[in-house]
Amino acid sequence: MERFAANLRNELFKLRKRKKYLVFLILGGLICVASALRVLVVTYFTDGMISRQAILGGLMSSNLPFILLLFLPLMAIMATGDLFVGEQADHTVRFSLMRPVSKGKLFFSKGAAVLVLCAFDLAVLYLVSTLAQVVLGGGTEGILTSLGACLLDLIPLTVLILFFSLINQMLKGSGLTVLLCMVVYIALLLMGTYLPAVGGLVFTGYLRWHNLWIGITLPFLSLLPRIGLLAGYGLVFACCGYFLFERKEA
Amino acid sequence: MDTVLALDHFSKIYPNGRGARNITFSVERGQVVGLLGPNGSGKTTIMKSLTGLAQPTEGTVTLFGVTVSDRERALAKVGALIEQPALYENLTALDHLYMAARYYPDVDQARIEKVLQIVGLTPYGRERCGKFSLGMKQRMGLALALLSQPELMILDEPTNGLDIEATVEVREIILRLAKEKGVTFLVASHLASEIEKMCDKVLVLYEGEMLSFETKEEALRLHPSLEDYFLAKVRDKKGSVVL
Repeated sequence: MERFAANLRNELFKLRKRKKYLVFLILGGLICVASALRVLVVTYFTDGMISRQAILGGLMSSNLPFILLLFLPLMAIMATGDLFVGEQADHTVRFSLMRPVSKGKLFFSKGAAVLVLCAFDLAVLYLVSTLAQVVLGGGTEGILTSLGACLLDLIPLTVLILFFSLINQMLKGSGLTVLLCMVVYIALLLMGTYLPAVGGLVFTGYLRWHNLWIGITLPFLSLLPRIGLLAGYGLVFACCGYFLFERKEA
Repeated sequence: MDTVLALDHFSKIYPNGRGARNITFSVERGQVVGLLGPNGSGKTTIMKSLTGLAQPTEGTVTLFGVTVSDRERALAKVGALIEQPALYENLTALDHLYMAARYYPDVDQARIEKVLQIVGLTPYGRERCGKFSLGMKQRMGLALALLSQPELMILDEPTNGLDIEATVEVREIILRLAKEKGVTFLVASHLASEIEKMCDKVLVLYEGEMLSFETKEEALRLHPSLEDYFLAKVRDKKGSVVL
């Protein structure tokens, strides 16, 4: 485990040294605050003075679709691209490959680093949204529910990161891989939206995983097939991704 | 003698047909072995397979008695520099050394400063490697290879891009580590003169085939230099003079 931890720290260090992730995080935070201000301004001019608490209560919940469906997948695509195909393309992957660490630990520590990055971003955006809600007069309504939602949504995010990690093993070009990840992700999202029959079978349909757990009272047994489906996707992506990574030469 | 590395009927053929075929040799502890051959003769292929960067098509590769696929045990005492060093352009020399140090529990701050000093990069520790010249990158690669105080060093063209002074320094480092600390070296070069100055044994490669594996004394018994020895070996095998 020490070498897994060592590589995880190295991958996180490399991500931290790339300024674009900080820039995107700041942009994401600004968008979350701007969405709150926009609602306040629009409501003020259309309806006159109304309760801020009614509008801003649960601000993070209203920001979640943007964060879960757009912001975090974009970060995951960029980070997996940098850590997998980007390093293969410029041969820097040899830095880790020539060290005494197994390829399995390398593969999964890279994936774990992307997950940590996304979890950190999610935490920051949660804090920003919560602060905006409180500071702008929205009170503290829904804060704990949003926190629970964020924690639950890390589960499908893990599957999504494994999916992008798998795609990264298929191509050699960095730009092409990022593009393919985006196209496939958008296609899966659209398929889930416009083809309800298959929507429940595609893993991207579960990115807002908290919807199954918070606010509704479905019996646990009825959720089991969905849990199994998501776990199955995760296992397949992890196994196939590792299989291809293990056979790659640098 | 203690066998440090061994290749047994090793072959690695790339889709374009190049690579190395049916290579068998072993290196004992403390030896400095040179791989001599022109570009495309299979030197780098062998070195990549020794460090797990490439997988053999046939045969086995073992380091310290452990097959190289068991990376954690096989590479624990190995330092390597293959082709150009793998450096992140946006990270400093110290960043690289700190990252590499995480894989080896015995490496501390003093050791990091020491290797920087050995390769002459102490004043440039906080500079980004993207700004380094080819020679400085090569020194950095050597620093990374030396960091863990390895028992086996695999160096592919270690003096590539270095000036005369630095080339001599690298040669002295290799000879000193082999003599004083018993470090085993496998050094690849297409320059016979370089191999002649630092190696105990020489392995001649040509078009992916191993032509000979002899001590330097044996090689120089009938030939005035390793260059002549290499040309004679190629002539014997191919039946023609290599220009």
